[in-house]
Amino acid sequence: MATRARLGVGFALLLLIAAPWVLPTAWLLVLENALVLALFAAATNLLVGWTGLVSFGQAAFYGIGAYTVALAWLHGIAPFWLAFPAAPLIAGLVALLTGAIALRARKLYFALLTLAFSELFYVLAEQLYDITNGANGIFGAMVPDLLVSPRPGFYFTLAVVTAALALLHRICHSPFGLALQAIRERRVRAEALGLAVAHHELAAFTLSGAFCGLAGALYVVHDQTAYPELLDWVKSGEPVIVAVIGGISSFAGPLWGALFYQIAHDALVVLTRDWQLVLGALLLLVVLFRPGGIVSLFPGREEG
Amino acid sequence: MNFASAAIEILSALTTAANLFVIAAGLSLVFGALRIINLAHGSFYMIGALLMASLFALGRPGVLFWPALLLAPLLTAGFGAVLERLLFRRIYRAEHLVQLLLSYALSLILADLALRLWGADSRTVPPPAALAGRLSVGGAGFPLYDLFVIALALAVGLGLWALLHRTRFGWEIRAAVEDPEGLSLCGRNVPALFTAVFALGAFLAALGGAAVAPLQAIGPGMDSSILVSAFIVTVIGGLGSIAGAALGAAVIGFVQAMGTLWLPTWAPAFIFLAMILVLVIRPSGLMGAPARAWSEEE
Repeated sequence: MATRARLGVGFALLLLIAAPWVLPTAWLLVLENALVLALFAAATNLLVGWTGLVSFGQAAFYGIGAYTVALAWLHGIAPFWLAFPAAPLIAGLVALLTGAIALRARKLYFALLTLAFSELFYVLAEQLYDITNGANGIFGAMVPDLLVSPRPGFYFTLAVVTAALALLHRICHSPFGLALQAIRERRVRAEALGLAVAHHELAAFTLSGAFCGLAGALYVVHDQTAYPELLDWVKSGEPVIVAVIGGISSFAGPLWGALFYQIAHDALVVLTRDWQLVLGALLLLVVLFRPGGIVSLFPGREEG
Repeated sequence: MNFASAAIEILSALTTAANLFVIAAGLSLVFGALRIINLAHGSFYMIGALLMASLFALGRPGVLFWPALLLAPLLTAGFGAVLERLLFRRIYRAEHLVQLLLSYALSLILADLALRLWGADSRTVPPPAALAGRLSVGGAGFPLYDLFVIALALAVGLGLWALLHRTRFGWEIRAAVEDPEGLSLCGRNVPALFTAVFALGAFLAALGGAAVAPLQAIGPGMDSSILVSAFIVTVIGGLGSIAGAALGAAVIGFVQAMGTLWLPTWAPAFIFLAMILVLVIRPSGLMGAPARAWSEEE
């Protein structure tokens, strides 16, 4: 990381640590949401931006992370402090299994297979009424009281997201991350050079799924609920859109995208009924005229 | 469940499948010729249905059914042609991600505009008097309108086959699929041809929407629910293949009918399982050809 980027990250962290003492509670919750979305989008971007695998099914793992915490509470299987760290592990395991199937297809068919898995899990969450409460969802005191109050809740989310993003950053810039980029740019050549492409793709899919699951578990900390729409394809599109708006070719892109998306969403939903119209128009403009996303607007920004 | 009600269930599933074929054929045609994934295809379906309801409501009850059934898809096709000129034309050779996101953005915009123009209330369109009754066979009363939708799908299938294989227009489309530059060198106006194909795809989606109007409530949200079904049908059959769309619709109709008969709660899950199973065994769908050279990498 360049010195300037280090300074930027340190400054951003300072701002975030100060936030609970400066911002009104309503905006603190918006920021907390943005942090969760940033992790969700950055995890998805490990596939979309880094490996060139367009997945429209990451909500499956996000939802599984959320349901892990919620179901553990509902059925008294495990206390929160055990269920929370289990969420990314279970989501990662499911990602390993579905990835092994979905990665048999390429490009567009891969995108549609991940979409099908996302919808399949959505239908399961809705139909397994005896286990999941079906379309009603699960809500209640599934999160320790400490984390429900705004400031400790925010600091907990901030700590987890910061640690997870640091880990993701390490992964993205490790030899493994470089190999993923080689696969994105020239798949056949990477294979010819002796890279185990299929294994790398499956590893990326599993890791991405685990981090998405962690984001889902954090969603529960924030909202104390889990419901089937957390797993459907519309939810799956969200991190992809956020990543593209922010810029998929840099690690920071999805983070800027998440901040922008969450603030724009929460501000516009209050003002107008036409949030979808604004989001659609914005996405259209980015795709057509600014494929580099928000980060490409910053002059002379280094990658990473 | 006795025989008569089982037969009616199966007919109802067949009707759904027939209508899905009409919509999926449009999606597949556009993909086959233009190589784009149109996530706004469901929006054309919704617009077709909403226009049908509005045009129908212009006249005295029942009078305008047939004119509206033709006019709603035609208007939607014209709208599709405009969108092709303005937007889709720019992304024919872009990455899949760009195509998916551009058409998804468009579907968000169209959903919002439709909500603005038509409101959140759902509308109903009764079937025309001639098709309002039931056909009695062996103690079971089959709704005539369901039979009409199935006949319409058969007509669309035959019509598309004839169009693609027996007319100059179809010959040019198939030539454009094989080699757009070559066709262009022969003096054909390929961009205009592509606009026409895209408009035809929008026409088929809207025809499906207009035809379904007497069978269900018309309103916002129809676009995203049909989109996933239409994609499943197309993908199972093989993107780009009209016959594949028919086969995919038949598979989904069958799975859905069996599901509703025996395990109603699991019917939606079976459809996704069917798609996953087909793609695992045949990654390009049942009748799809492997991807074309220039759409592949390197």
